[in-house]
Amino acid sequence: MKARILEGTLAAAGIALMTVGISAHFRALAAPTSRATWGSEATPAAAAPRPTTFAIVDARVFDGTAVLERATVLVESGVIKAVGPGISVPKEVPVVNGYGKTLLPGLIDAHTHAFQDALERALVFGVTTEVDMFTDARFAADRRAEQKRGLVTSRADLVSAGTLATAPGGHGTEYGIPIPTLTRPDEAQAFVDARVAEGSDFIKIIYDDAASYGLKLPTLTRETMTALVAAAHQRGKLAVVHVSTGRAAREALAAGADGLAHIVADVPAGDELVALARQRGAFVIPTLTVIASTTGDTSVARALSVDPSLAIYVGSSERRSLDAEFPAPLKGTGGMLRARALVGALKAAAVPILAGTDAPNPGTAHGLSLHEELELLVGAGLSPIEALAAATSIPARTFGLSDRGRIAPGMRADLLMVDGDPTRAIAATRRIAAIWKGGVAVERKPALPEPAGARVNTNGLVSDFETDTATGFGFGWQISTDSMMGGASEAAMRVVQGGAQGSRRSLEVAGSIKPGSMYPWAGPMFFPGQQPMTPANLSRFATLAFWTKGDGGTYRVLAFASRLGRIPAEQRFVADPEWREVVMPLSGFGNGMDGSDLQGLLFSASAGQATFRLQIDDVRFR
Amino acid sequence: MRPLSVRDFRIYGLECRTELLKVMRLPAYALPTIGFPAVFYLLFAVALGGRPQDGAKVATYMLATYGAFGVIGASLFGFGVSLAVERAQGWLLLKRSMPAPTGAWIVGKTAVSLVFSAAIVAVLVVLGVLFGHVRMPLGTWARLSAVLVAGALPFSAFGLALGYLCGPNSAPAVINLIYLPMAFLSGLWVPIEMLPTFMKNLAVCLPAYHFAQLALQVVGAGRGGPAWSHVLTLAGFTLFSVALALGAFRRDEGATFG
Repeated sequence: MKARILEGTLAAAGIALMTVGISAHFRALAAPTSRATWGSEATPAAAAPRPTTFAIVDARVFDGTAVLERATVLVESGVIKAVGPGISVPKEVPVVNGYGKTLLPGLIDAHTHAFQDALERALVFGVTTEVDMFTDARFAADRRAEQKRGLVTSRADLVSAGTLATAPGGHGTEYGIPIPTLTRPDEAQAFVDARVAEGSDFIKIIYDDAASYGLKLPTLTRETMTALVAAAHQRGKLAVVHVSTGRAAREALAAGADGLAHIVADVPAGDELVALARQRGAFVIPTLTVIASTTGDTSVARALSVDPSLAIYVGSSERRSLDAEFPAPLKGTGGMLRARALVGALKAAAVPILAGTDAPNPGTAHGLSLHEELELLVGAGLSPIEALAAATSIPARTFGLSDRGRIAPGMRADLLMVDGDPTRAIAATRRIAAIWKGGVAVERKPALPEPAGARVNTNGLVSDFETDTATGFGFGWQISTDSMMGGASEAAMRVVQGGAQGSRRSLEVAGSIKPGSMYPWAGPMFFPGQQPMTPANLSRFATLAFWTKGDGGTYRVLAFASRLGRIPAEQRFVADPEWREVVMPLSGFGNGMDGSDLQGLLFSASAGQATFRLQIDDVRFR
Repeated sequence: MRPLSVRDFRIYGLECRTELLKVMRLPAYALPTIGFPAVFYLLFAVALGGRPQDGAKVATYMLATYGAFGVIGASLFGFGVSLAVERAQGWLLLKRSMPAPTGAWIVGKTAVSLVFSAAIVAVLVVLGVLFGHVRMPLGTWARLSAVLVAGALPFSAFGLALGYLCGPNSAPAVINLIYLPMAFLSGLWVPIEMLPTFMKNLAVCLPAYHFAQLALQVVGAGRGGPAWSHVLTLAGFTLFSVALALGAFRRDEGATFG
């Protein structure tokens, strides 16, 4: 009996201990931490000193303004502790050999538009901070909140104007994001206050009727622009004014603008705006990269995308963006020559020049293009050291980023190490050896080839609509309209009696296209992947075929594919009053479309069809 | 109970020595116990050591997990199978009639488990350094070895229980049926993070998992959470195993003398 009690007590105690231990471990696992398969540290030896503590020795150091030919940089807990030739490194601190390499402050791109993965991509190319000149205010607010919580090591930091100030229908309203606008000087203060409330770090103002691009867009009056600059200063914010003509630039400077976005290409280097900028103490962000693209001068951008030291990191989206062109580049006008000469004149007048790219406009890409901008600035007359300062210490000082832009004690360890000597040959910035953000080494992953769609097992039939809108494969049909881009078009679909070739039923789509969006659309969309917009591989089919009848209007099939980015390719068809089969070769969508990465097919009415009605039936790939 | 005398210590020492001598002369135990973890480690950690940038990481990680695998095997088989066989041979009965303390053979078998565990760890360490390019500070080596060898104790207790519960023929089969699935599910063969979620959750309920996590924590590759949770679980497992062994022992006594 005694033995049994002993055994029972021991067993119960054992089970109790196990329960406590296991549940404690389960609770610890529930805490959200990322787990690497092989553990977090390569060797536990590195556990003693923090990984953000290290020293770079024997490197050439460009500290933001000047060059130290051979120096040590000591980083402690992500902050630069000491810089100089005679720094002693404590024994336990890991050492990075910098011999033959040049250490630069992490680069700052002073003119971008950041959304989606822009900041992640920028970091891959050594840009640790982006100054954004207009993006979705919510995106900017999210990034600001994240940066406030602590060091972000997965992407570049963002400093942003958020929503820009422009006239209704003016430049900045054409991107599909609905934004507030203003028309009168007395609205300026309220407008600026709303931006400050949203968190804008500075105020960006559009003062450009786009005449220099052969367009005519509404723009702010001189009085409103002037009032906006004053309102920004009232709240202690910088006012950066976008201009494209010498006249607009002079007027912005006269209004007290702190800086100009874009160099102008329509005035000679001797223009009085140089003297005006100097006298007002204004800075200029020339964005020669995008000027080159608008003038059709793509030589540097093309060379960049195939540069052997960058190529493996250039993803397909970046290559597309670099290869893209503005709709009507102003070729052969000498614009680029004048722009370059004016930058040279501004430099001679000691006007602060900031390196900015205007990525991701056609011909540019985040991060990557800053290396082009540096080269173009040197081509315009800056020394390599001045160009590097334009991408580090000068933008940091201009935008009040007191913790970065220089390699000096107390600065955050945002560092870029490159092979060779960019202080003499600027293109060496492309030969990136290492990047640190806040002392954390950035892991640069080579870009992956475009994800092919998952192969779809199907005989090609999408829908015959005999019972409902069921599909043979994929996510299925869904109505899509321009309301997601601020439009007001409508559409509805239902299965109705009577189909093509005597079949029982078909799909009827009816709706209306209403003004309100730059690119109006409305209609049913078929998603061939398991989820909306995940690509499916239908490359063994050559054509899309369907039967249709309707009101005689012209309709479009818009194809979405990974290779196309966000812009679909289209083919048109007419919905006659009698049933008729439409056969579209997939290659007819252009862009090398072969169905291998198809994300969606949208059957849409076109602009101008106030009301529309059509039936479609027997949709299949063949 | 009388206090231990010098003569007792001599008996304990003799028991350890002879027990050790016995298993050394039993290649059926000594070879697989040391050979399997070593071969597995060479195969999975060194030869198939993943991508080059993971190389030393993989070899370090698997040093902990295959070390745990080896120690558990040495303890379960060393205790379980030999006890089951000796029980059947009547050897234990004979021992009880000798003027020696009852627990002496338990101490002897525990010593064997510890010595073999140490041998397995030593072999793996040599392989890891030579072929896996594992580099760690001396203190880390020492702590890893200590944790691994100490892990022999809870699993020896479990082996004791199994040795009393199983017959001589069924013991190797039963122990393999427990040992091998437990080793796999606890992430001793492939890293725990590579297993599907339900297996990961199951793993947390297995003692081998907690043993491996203690060892992995030493090399900085644990899954997180405090070390005491693992120690507590293993202590509980030891107590439970001892209770099980006592119960089985009583049953055995009843069958023999009852």
